[in-house]
Amino acid sequence: MNAELTAVRDFLGSHPPYDALEPAALSALLATMSTVYVRRGTEVIGLGAANDTAYVIRAGAVEIRDTADGLVERAEEGTTFGVSSVRARAGSNYRIVAIEDSLLLTIPGDAFRTLLARPEVGRFFDLQSSARLRAAVLATRVSDSRHAIFGVTVRDMLGREPVTTSPTTPIREVAQVMARHGVSAILVIQAGRLVGIVTDRDLRRRVVAEGVGVERPVVEIMTADPISVDPDSPAFSVLLEMTSRGVHHLPVTDPDGKPLGLVSAGDLLRLGQSSPVQLAADIARQQTIDGVVTVASGLPRLVEQLVTSDVSADDIGRATSAVADAAIRRIVTLAELGLGPAPAPYCVVAMGSLGRLEAGLGADQDTAILVDDSGDAADAWYGQLAAALTDAMERIGFPRCPGDAMATNPRWRQTVAGWRQTFRAWMDEPEPTALMEAQIFFDMRPITGDVSLYATLSADILAIAPRSARFLAHLAASALSRTPPLGFFRNLVLDRDGAHRHTLDLKHGGIAAVVQLSRLYCLTKGLAPHNTQARITAARNAGVIGQESAENLSDAYEFICYQRVRHQARQIREGLVPDSHVDPDELSDLDKKHLRDAFGVVKTMQNALSVTYQIGFL
Amino acid sequence: MTPFGWGRGRRRRATEEEAPPGPLRDYLSASPPDPRTPLAQVRLLALDFETTTLEAATGSPLSAGWVPVDGTAVRLGGAGSVGFLAPAAGVGDSAVFHGITDDAASLGVDERVAVERILAALAGRVLLAHHASIETSFLAAACRRIWGVAPEFACVDTLEIEHRLATRGGSEPVPGSLRLGASRERYGLPAYGAHEALTDALACAELYVAQVSVLGAASPLKSVLS
Repeated sequence: MNAELTAVRDFLGSHPPYDALEPAALSALLATMSTVYVRRGTEVIGLGAANDTAYVIRAGAVEIRDTADGLVERAEEGTTFGVSSVRARAGSNYRIVAIEDSLLLTIPGDAFRTLLARPEVGRFFDLQSSARLRAAVLATRVSDSRHAIFGVTVRDMLGREPVTTSPTTPIREVAQVMARHGVSAILVIQAGRLVGIVTDRDLRRRVVAEGVGVERPVVEIMTADPISVDPDSPAFSVLLEMTSRGVHHLPVTDPDGKPLGLVSAGDLLRLGQSSPVQLAADIARQQTIDGVVTVASGLPRLVEQLVTSDVSADDIGRATSAVADAAIRRIVTLAELGLGPAPAPYCVVAMGSLGRLEAGLGADQDTAILVDDSGDAADAWYGQLAAALTDAMERIGFPRCPGDAMATNPRWRQTVAGWRQTFRAWMDEPEPTALMEAQIFFDMRPITGDVSLYATLSADILAIAPRSARFLAHLAASALSRTPPLGFFRNLVLDRDGAHRHTLDLKHGGIAAVVQLSRLYCLTKGLAPHNTQARITAARNAGVIGQESAENLSDAYEFICYQRVRHQARQIREGLVPDSHVDPDELSDLDKKHLRDAFGVVKTMQNALSVTYQIGFL
Repeated sequence: MTPFGWGRGRRRRATEEEAPPGPLRDYLSASPPDPRTPLAQVRLLALDFETTTLEAATGSPLSAGWVPVDGTAVRLGGAGSVGFLAPAAGVGDSAVFHGITDDAASLGVDERVAVERILAALAGRVLLAHHASIETSFLAAACRRIWGVAPEFACVDTLEIEHRLATRGGSEPVPGSLRLGASRERYGLPAYGAHEALTDALACAELYVAQVSVLGAASPLKSVLS
């Protein structure tokens, strides 16, 4: 029979994986197929029932539920179901019920298994859920012209050739070149490589103010070996770098050190009207703590704008963290002015979400103070600094930590030696309840003060952690106790029937679970990154997890975080306190489906971990 | 009232004796389905003709498409179609509706070959069509032209079923609401491009299995026979 059922053929040919079949294979498949019609409410495949038919939804929709009657998926037109039971030639692990009157194309088991033997088809069904999730994540990353900075690299901003001079050129001549070209900074080049930078400010502070002779060579007053940036760095991160270092120009060099140009904070700020960097810069200009609080309370409005601009959750977390960092730096500086000089060098560090550069609106403030071993951590000076900081941060909108993991708690103001002991106790003699609250300390990141204090402590922790088997096992058990709310999707179905409502907790079994997993991955190998996405990448590069697992976990984390930040932006608009509990009504059907997939990824990674650590999975 | 099976059976046997050996006699000799057969087990053939006019007396078939239905499943693998040689009078204005021009129709086969293929597909099956009198009258007229006799085709008409379902509430259906496309829409069936014989046959077959889901697959064949 050579009759072409074009209506069916065109339909199948426009849905994966059938769209990849060559015409002859598609014809051969069609010849085996039938069409059936099922009324809404009809059970198409019973739980545990023998099934040797794969179905493609031609019109209508079905619900796929697992053995616990949890809703796995609500499948619509073009979706194939019955795949796993046909593939395994076993009873169905799912119960499939039509939720609309549906027209279904059927493929007999033998024909479908022949199809599955094709690598591209087998792979399609293997990857179906993770691919769906990835697509969803990409869709959230559509850039928007109002925040063009998020899609721009430094290379895009490089204009004319850089104005350069040599180290031996007299200062007067350098000033004349700068004036002639109308630039406020000039690069100093030797043998084709960048060796220094001179800015207007250098001329004022180091030449005029100090009375250095203008005939002296510029090498004497230049900033030698300046930090330079790679041309492919995102403009956004470069701008944050400049803000945190308090510089206004950064040279751009290729990997060989050849100067390509110069970017200024002004160039970058012009990209975004209300960028986080602008806000951070405003904070840094404030002369009073009250001023910092007032300016920093513009943060929720900024986050809301970023959300409506479809900036990724990871970037929003970094932006929020950058603003919080700027606030901490400025508050500490202003507090120091009031308290007088510190009795000994110290470093203010952040833990938890701010430590991971993932601060959300309304995130608890988790801070601590490291004091140089020459000093006394019990000195009242540090307590007063902590009190001023905690109070101001609370007024900005970062509530006090309910677990009291704050610098105001004397336990969290210690000398470096004291901290080393504390960490060693956590790692050598792990005790579950203590570790519960101690975990966030492993996200410690220095914010302001003497950063080298943190560096020695960090090196110590990262060296010991991989050898601390019991400690790692406790972290694993904790990561496994964060159960993804897969049962929630069953409740959604009940809700539809008018039963009581639940909200979905994105934090407990979603965000917190991924944070704990990725922290553990890095500690097992002594890897340094703090940020969850960076940790996932580092764990992949170190071979702790596979490439595909890493991508899936990264996508899942981004998607769940994005849903949370969007939810929080909505709460802010409505004048509510931001939280992580989402009402199902806020979510589209597609969001629910992708969230289900994302939580499924988390569960898969937990399963793998439970095998590694031989821990019974709850 | 004459029982369906007996009345039709007698007339069919009468023509079977007149029929020459070949597809017509084969069709007639295949035992007619028992009218008490549950719909779940009835075998049908959804058939659609594209024709020059709607009157079998004056028009000619241009093409036919068919799809078998076994109980509640449409068998896509059994689909078939055939084009008829251009009628002497040409396709005329009807090309506007079905898109079959004289050139395309000239690619068809002789009427006898075409009808033999249709009868071979129909053997042992109940004819299924939307507004079935078109298909039965054109098919019977063709048989008479070829063999001088025509069978009485056992047939199920999705238009009749739809009319019955629509008037269950006592009100007459809105004009046009029983057309194939409009009927399909009520069952959530996808929209197809109309007036292509095979697609229309498939559309009719899908409508039928949707109607059976309402009538119940345990209902006897006689409840839907025309």
